[in-house]
Amino acid sequence: MKTTLPILFGFLVGLVMFVQYFFSHPSLQRTYNLVLDWKQIVFGMMLILGTIGLVRHHGVRIQRRERAWGYSAVTLSGLVAVILAGVGGGVQGGPYAWSFENVQSPMQSTIFALLAFYVASAAYRAFRARTVHATLLLCAGIIVMLGRVSIGEMLGFSVGDARYSLAGLSGWILDVPNLAAKRGILIGVGLGVSATALKILLGIERSYLGKGD
Amino acid sequence: MPRPWWEHALRLDRRLLFVAVALAVAIPVLFPLGLPVVPGKESRDFFAALEQLQPGDVILFSFDYEADSRAEMDPMTRVVWRYCLGRGVRIIALTNYAGGPGVAEPYIELATKQLGQVYGEDVVFLGYNPDYSGTILRLGESFRATFPADQYGRSTADFPLLQRANRYADTKLIVTIAASSLAEYWTIWAHGKYDAKVIAGATAIQAVHLYPYYQTGQVSGFLGGLKGAAELERLAELPGDATRGMDSQTTGHAVIVLFILLGNVAYFAQRRRKS
Repeated sequence: MKTTLPILFGFLVGLVMFVQYFFSHPSLQRTYNLVLDWKQIVFGMMLILGTIGLVRHHGVRIQRRERAWGYSAVTLSGLVAVILAGVGGGVQGGPYAWSFENVQSPMQSTIFALLAFYVASAAYRAFRARTVHATLLLCAGIIVMLGRVSIGEMLGFSVGDARYSLAGLSGWILDVPNLAAKRGILIGVGLGVSATALKILLGIERSYLGKGD
Repeated sequence: MPRPWWEHALRLDRRLLFVAVALAVAIPVLFPLGLPVVPGKESRDFFAALEQLQPGDVILFSFDYEADSRAEMDPMTRVVWRYCLGRGVRIIALTNYAGGPGVAEPYIELATKQLGQVYGEDVVFLGYNPDYSGTILRLGESFRATFPADQYGRSTADFPLLQRANRYADTKLIVTIAASSLAEYWTIWAHGKYDAKVIAGATAIQAVHLYPYYQTGQVSGFLGGLKGAAELERLAELPGDATRGMDSQTTGHAVIVLFILLGNVAYFAQRRRKS
């Protein structure tokens, strides 16, 4: 029963969502809207579950005085402080907006900006023309890196009205080889998703039910 | 016996590299170079979609990014908002990110406090819904049903703007400024199912994923990273942070490429010596 009911439910909902795409009967439309509303409610509940999980995880770490438990204390303090700021002062202006602009935003931006340094270091050590394939990747990488900034326009020449530049070559790499590869991947992913969806609808793929029976 | 030069190069202290990149990025901020910005076809098409809007038209704007990518995304948002509101275009905004409301708030203030727009009539901020797929699909049926209340808890049914525009068909354009695959999802669901016109701003990394959709016309135009933002600033004649930032990005890229070349020259010198 624990297996049959979810499979039957999944099959019925999946079938309705599939059929409604091709027909515009009002009852199908209502069901479609209802399923989408439920889906959003389920996602909202997931946020609550996530918050409870976060509090429990870090609460246990603090209680047991595990290694680096101070970070857990900072995490929970941040959570409580932002909730209090939002509930107490509202989300428009006040301490909530201040903490976003002056704490969260600079911290996230700083971490993201650090990537530039790590990418530079990794590129210096790993980008070697060891094989033909690596050399092709290296050349394409350098062309796109320079072509996507102002210098790409400057490195070029004109023949009559036509302009041949590194930026143009970079655009061609993105527009032709990159596009072809990306489209091939997208078609493969699309076929895979369709096959998996069909397997779930027909009850062949049951891993989403978990191990228990 | 002193070590050959390539061994020094191959064992370069990474802190030297960090200092070189930091200087390459910082110096042009202090001493701007004024390097040229030439708009590409994708950016021109993005701007053309904005240019076609008439006073009174309504667009849906999605803040699909958080604080970490503000440096790349905010310049795009700034130009779109200033350009559209300056031409009398109405904006219905939302976000698919939990951190999105904080990012959006300065633009709501820009519209209402600096540009004199009336909240509810000229601009509305619907806020954040946690389920992006359900949200994008449900918006095609009804904005008001998807967001019964706006970000500030007011009933969306009371806003004149949402009485006028309640689904994609009532809007002229969807603009998503996205630091993730959300630009693709807007294209697949909002354009694919509801035939809405979509333009996107993406980070430089995400922009490469938009080429297949752009070639087929599913995305009418897009901006890629800071370069795309600088191109939009130039097209809209609203220069700002992106135009200034392009100098830093250019020197930063140039320094990284120089180090990559140095590493390869050292690698080949070492290999030649060993063989």
